Amino acid sequence: MPSYKLTYFDGRGRAETCRLLLAAGGIEYEDNRLPQEQWPAFQPKTPFGQLPVMEVDGTMLCQTNSIARYVAKLAGLTGKTAMDQAKVDMIMEGAVPLFQKAGDVVMGEGDEAKKAEKKKDFEENFAPKFFADMEKLAGDKGYFVSNQLTAADIAFYGNYESIKDFVTLPSFDKYPKLKKVVASVQANPGIAKWLKERPQTAW
Amino acid sequence: MPTYKLTCFNVRGRAELIRLLFAAGEIPYEDVRIEWDKWPELKPISDTPMGQIPTLEVDGQVICQSMAIARFVAGKAGLLGKTNMDQARADMLLDGGMDVGKLFTEMVMEKDASKKAEKKKEFGEKHLPPFLALYEGFAGDNGHFVGDSLTWSDIGFFNMMDFITAEYPGALDGYCKLNKVIDNVKSNPGVAKWLKERPVTNH
Repeated sequence: MPSYKLTYFDGRGRAETCRLLLAAGGIEYEDNRLPQEQWPAFQPKTPFGQLPVMEVDGTMLCQTNSIARYVAKLAGLTGKTAMDQAKVDMIMEGAVPLFQKAGDVVMGEGDEAKKAEKKKDFEENFAPKFFADMEKLAGDKGYFVSNQLTAADIAFYGNYESIKDFVTLPSFDKYPKLKKVVASVQANPGIAKWLKERPQTAW
Repeated sequence: MPTYKLTCFNVRGRAELIRLLFAAGEIPYEDVRIEWDKWPELKPISDTPMGQIPTLEVDGQVICQSMAIARFVAGKAGLLGKTNMDQARADMLLDGGMDVGKLFTEMVMEKDASKKAEKKKEFGEKHLPPFLALYEGFAGDNGHFVGDSLTWSDIGFFNMMDFITAEYPGALDGYCKLNKVIDNVKSNPGVAKWLKERPVTNH
């Protein structure tokens, strides 16, 4: 049984999709939360100077979605056929801009006026289009691909959940299929347990 | 035998990695190229899951997100990497290259001449050298990033440097292992044929 150690800051952020996948797969791992002051010493040990990283028996992986895809394979959540896997991939890639753009609104460069402009553009233009596109891709039963839980559902949920407290998102009442996806993810036993037990952090 | 139809603008751009992978795998496909000025009229009626191209149509099903498409084609071509860990490392190296690729693209697309000159200097002095030094470290003595045979991470690196060396001709001088990677990719028969025959475009 290999040993898995996921290192990130003490927050949900970019790592939460990976943690949700590990939980769904019932995969034991060390959830290493690095205090900010330890980061400068740890940074040179990472492949690209960034977090999250995941160590598998000592080999270090980085890049959030690469780690997520690797864990999804371990957890059997990638999709059944090559085409299903491509669709899962497409949604995992498509979900990242939600996190990135919201992150730029909250933490990006610019004075108050610029930030307000970015926030307005995100909330009025980007987010509604994103939700509308994702709604079209979701199936009727609460899953994006092949009527079963895959990393696509979990990545959508993870990216959405990490930013929902910091920007105003469209109401799920307008997006019933996405609402069902969220419910499917939260109902997975491993994930439900994790959501109850995970450390509570501001972000 | 499934039918593959790739739709993108008439540029190398985001689709070129996909085209190189089809070539390396010697997989026939329809290479549909749309001119920029036709896109506004085509966009509303085109079958694009997220309103963007490239898209790949496989026996009538459409996927988007260039990296999801590339991963799918790499899978068909047997170029993902042999083990789960190899695949994750190949993934990670490609994802890591994209961050630098994005900065490069921003520089190339900068319309203001003096800003562009400034960005070009900054990229060439600040971003490119550490990236190349890092990747020289990742490359094996055999001229492969992962394992002992060609994978899509070698091809992705080649493609990116194809763009970058057009602006920075001597960039790879002195990087023995990276030059071996480039040679390995160029000498793949399918790739060699494509490089000779592909349409010549500015981007």
